[in-house]
Amino acid sequence: MTGRKLLMTFPVTADSHTLAAYRARGGYATIGKVVREMRPEQVTKEVAASGLLGHGGAAFPAGRKWGVIKLNDEQPHYLCANADEGEPGTFKDRWILENAPHLLVESMLIAAFALQVRHAFVYIRGEFDLPHRRIAGAVEEAYAAGLLGAPIDGSAFACDIVVYRGAGSYVCGEASGLLTSLEGKKGYPRNRPPRLTVRGLYQRPTVVNNVETLANITGIVRDGAEAFRRVGTAKSPGTQLISISGHVQRPGVYEVEYGYPFARFIHEDCGGVLAGRKLKCVIPGGISTKVLTAAEIEPLTLDHASVASAGSGLGSGGMIVVAEGTCMVRLLQVLVRFYHHESCGQCTPCREGMGWLHRIVDRIVAGDGQLDDIERLIAISEANDGTTICGMGDAAGYATVGILAKYRDEFEHWIVHGRSRCEGRLEAVGAEWTIPEAELHG
Amino acid sequence: MKHLLAEFERMRRRFPPGFESSLVLPCLRRIQEDRGWVADADIDALAAYLDVPRIQIEEVLSFYTQFRRAPIGRWHLQACRNVSCSMRGAEGVIEHLGERLGIAPGETTPDGNFTLSTCECLGSCGTAPVVMVNETYHENMAPERLDALIERLST
Amino acid sequence: MVEIFIDGDRVEAEDGQTVMQVARASGHVIPFFCWHPALSVPGNCRVCMVEIEGDGTAAGWLDIACNMPVAKGMRVLTDSPRVRVRRKQVLELQTLNHPVDCGVCDKAGECTLQDYHYQYNGAPSVSRDAKVRATKHFPLSERIVLDNERCILCSRCVRFTREISKSDSLGIQNRGDHSLVRAVEDGSFERDPYSDNVIDLCPVGALLSRSFLHKARVWYLEPTASICPGCERGCTVDVWHRKTAWKLNKLDPAANARIDRVTPLENPAVNGPWICNKGRDLAQIFERPRALVPLLNGRQAQLDEAVDEARLLIAAARRPVALVSSWGSNEELAAFDRVLGARFASFVKTDWLPVPGERIEDDLLIKPDKNPNRAGARKLYPALPADERDAFPADCDLVLVWGEGCRGDQLPAGAKIVRLDAWLHAENDRADVFLPISAQTERSGHYTNFAGVVSRFDACFAKPAGVADAEALFAALALPLLVEAT
Repeated sequence: MTGRKLLMTFPVTADSHTLAAYRARGGYATIGKVVREMRPEQVTKEVAASGLLGHGGAAFPAGRKWGVIKLNDEQPHYLCANADEGEPGTFKDRWILENAPHLLVESMLIAAFALQVRHAFVYIRGEFDLPHRRIAGAVEEAYAAGLLGAPIDGSAFACDIVVYRGAGSYVCGEASGLLTSLEGKKGYPRNRPPRLTVRGLYQRPTVVNNVETLANITGIVRDGAEAFRRVGTAKSPGTQLISISGHVQRPGVYEVEYGYPFARFIHEDCGGVLAGRKLKCVIPGGISTKVLTAAEIEPLTLDHASVASAGSGLGSGGMIVVAEGTCMVRLLQVLVRFYHHESCGQCTPCREGMGWLHRIVDRIVAGDGQLDDIERLIAISEANDGTTICGMGDAAGYATVGILAKYRDEFEHWIVHGRSRCEGRLEAVGAEWTIPEAELHG
Repeated sequence: MKHLLAEFERMRRRFPPGFESSLVLPCLRRIQEDRGWVADADIDALAAYLDVPRIQIEEVLSFYTQFRRAPIGRWHLQACRNVSCSMRGAEGVIEHLGERLGIAPGETTPDGNFTLSTCECLGSCGTAPVVMVNETYHENMAPERLDALIERLST
Repeated sequence: MVEIFIDGDRVEAEDGQTVMQVARASGHVIPFFCWHPALSVPGNCRVCMVEIEGDGTAAGWLDIACNMPVAKGMRVLTDSPRVRVRRKQVLELQTLNHPVDCGVCDKAGECTLQDYHYQYNGAPSVSRDAKVRATKHFPLSERIVLDNERCILCSRCVRFTREISKSDSLGIQNRGDHSLVRAVEDGSFERDPYSDNVIDLCPVGALLSRSFLHKARVWYLEPTASICPGCERGCTVDVWHRKTAWKLNKLDPAANARIDRVTPLENPAVNGPWICNKGRDLAQIFERPRALVPLLNGRQAQLDEAVDEARLLIAAARRPVALVSSWGSNEELAAFDRVLGARFASFVKTDWLPVPGERIEDDLLIKPDKNPNRAGARKLYPALPADERDAFPADCDLVLVWGEGCRGDQLPAGAKIVRLDAWLHAENDRADVFLPISAQTERSGHYTNFAGVVSRFDACFAKPAGVADAEALFAALALPLLVEAT
């Protein structure tokens, strides 16, 4: 048991995602209470008081973001649920879209009420098929039930939701890139200022929130900020949906109460490392977070402050477990290939830097590396730190320096000997391979 | 594209006024679903219908991985090669598919049945390795399951 | 007003301005590729990063100046050690895949990337990996050649077609370091009459003029301020021609009297930083075959012989009419009026009509009247009536035709014709007297544009031998009249 649950509070069955099932669980009672008894600023105040942090990776306080929206400023406001979920290792928003789509719809209605939004959007990555059918189906059910497109409960509040499908681009998961894509263009992220809450979709005030962030809203407004704060830790109240994958026995989505012990989560709740291998390291919160060794995670708990204290981040909770014997050079190769593929190409450091990182690591893997290539990888990462239009350049840099900081010796080995110390291995299957003596760590 | 116009009008009414530009992505997706790919005539027609610059549509088609301007095989096999999938055998999957079908990633079989591609993270890392077949995710694709899949799709 | 500090200097800024705008207005240098005062701010090149000093409570930070709103008390550093590090990094990355084409690239000598490389980096490449290859010599249009390897994807050209010429005809395809500038596939970039402005806008040698390609190194040339005669907007331009020190060793003197290229001469009152493509092609106007020899009824004559004959005709005429050139400069017009104005009933003619396919008018620069000094001429004389017969009284016995655009059959059959023109036309042979005159590029003067703005043009070349200025000829033609008057 990974602590108390706020989202995964019902058994997943063949129809637990339907309107009827959601209503049976008490669904859509909260939006009714909100429109009858609350004012928009009260809702925002409750969300701010709850301390809810964003679940898209940046952990920005949701209430503070909402608070930037000026009420009654005589212009349209927009709300967008970020369901682009492109961060490798992350697949937890998918759980919500497939199994609790109405929770997202109700939460969006509550948020729309608070932010004076008439038109809201769910931007869902184009590849998601079943999640799209579920959320689109839920939206249609809500329309049919008069919850969308019509005033709710005799109030003046009405809201429309459009489910908008992306078409294959990681940067569309970045909030400003998402909105530019939603405007029907290439998903080019934007410079700030202005913040999106001042000028977002079609230059109107817009709140973009991660799906999981929004999913928490109904519970917070229903049970109150205090109740939410009693779960989790002081700095990270509530829970996190952790997607765990890689060399782990029981991969999947787990709802973890913030503060839960990191190592116990991996070794007990998720069944430990695959094939009885020892743990080498963990990428804790999506590939943009710095890798942590098995020893480093021992004293940590699953919350933002604890993981940050170890020099990394819990980010979007996309956790990747790496077994001993895995080649970190090849792992970085996969990462830089990804960043290179996904760079939108606007700004100089990322456009040129991602390709450069990729070419250097490819060359090391091909046996043509030089020792100062390692310094070059670090320099390119530094040149992308705080200099780019969006966070992707920085992210690639963190991933790179994170791996180099802990596993530089593997890179040096490959450069000096022309081959991997771990046979270039990324998989951890079977008992047929043995780990070389030099690779065994304590 | 004419036969899709009624549908496009219904889509348009879902959006607030002034959001015509936003319709580019959903309309292109629908056109591609219908034809299998997006033709030059579709671009002309859509630009005129939405009153957006033609260049915007051309850029969008080139930027997003899911859009194509030429036909491909009947079954598009996209194998994820990102981190978690690679750690659970994706490289073997790609190699196996390549051998079984006799093509390299980016190519289509001579009979036009299969196109093989690699792709980045599909958001299904817990059931790695994953292969997307047209619109559907096929998860936990060990080699035996791949063979069974190809058998099924070949009929 | 907002008070900020740039490199220690106190500067007054307006609310809503960016640090870039304020720095430029106050003479502080911040480098930039993608920023342009007349275009939107994409903030993609990252070379304009500046440092904002911390104030004790908050640490200092760096960000791009082009998108940074001014804030009261802000202390901007444009050349601090941290800024220098960032600039060098950006230049390193800009040149990472940039081909070292300088030896064969037309932009050399006026290339922002070259200049900044030496100023802010100066070191050889630190990469041992091959550069990314892309298309070279890509035909973006009939007029413009694109080299995608040189392109730094600043998007100035794209933004120009979206925001200024409004043809929406350029875009960036693909993404990452495979991004490519491309023209829209329906050919509208080809039809954009302002397309060539992207050549000036391009900070590197990616967009090049096909007509200028490999013609001359820019340091062999010098610009002379002139005015495009293509319409009554009268855009000011720079006409580029070979410097004397770099003259070609050729027997034909015309080789060193060529218009090598034309670029906009920025002018806030008239054309801003742009011109249309017609202005780029001034060589096509000025380098048409020239009239070099005086003629008497088509027979070659000496200049004094021809002038004498013309004088006689003018003195003898009872009802002379003059068709005055709408390409005449204010100086030439004044001279004509001074010495011959009393003698002739004068009308301003349309030297040039729009040519087929030419854009007539738009909201940007192009005006429907394709003559540069209609306004200057009309200050003195009325327009030629639409029905020409209204201009020529029944007893008109002499027409003086100055400039182009008048066919013999448009003139009264019985009248004598005296023509003054710079270019070779069949009509010249049919005049009773023909006198060749200098072209705009061979003298200096002023035009008045449609809005009354007066601009100056200067001489780029010497007149061909034996060709006189119209101004001088007017005085010569009027001599008997002046003598008579005294």
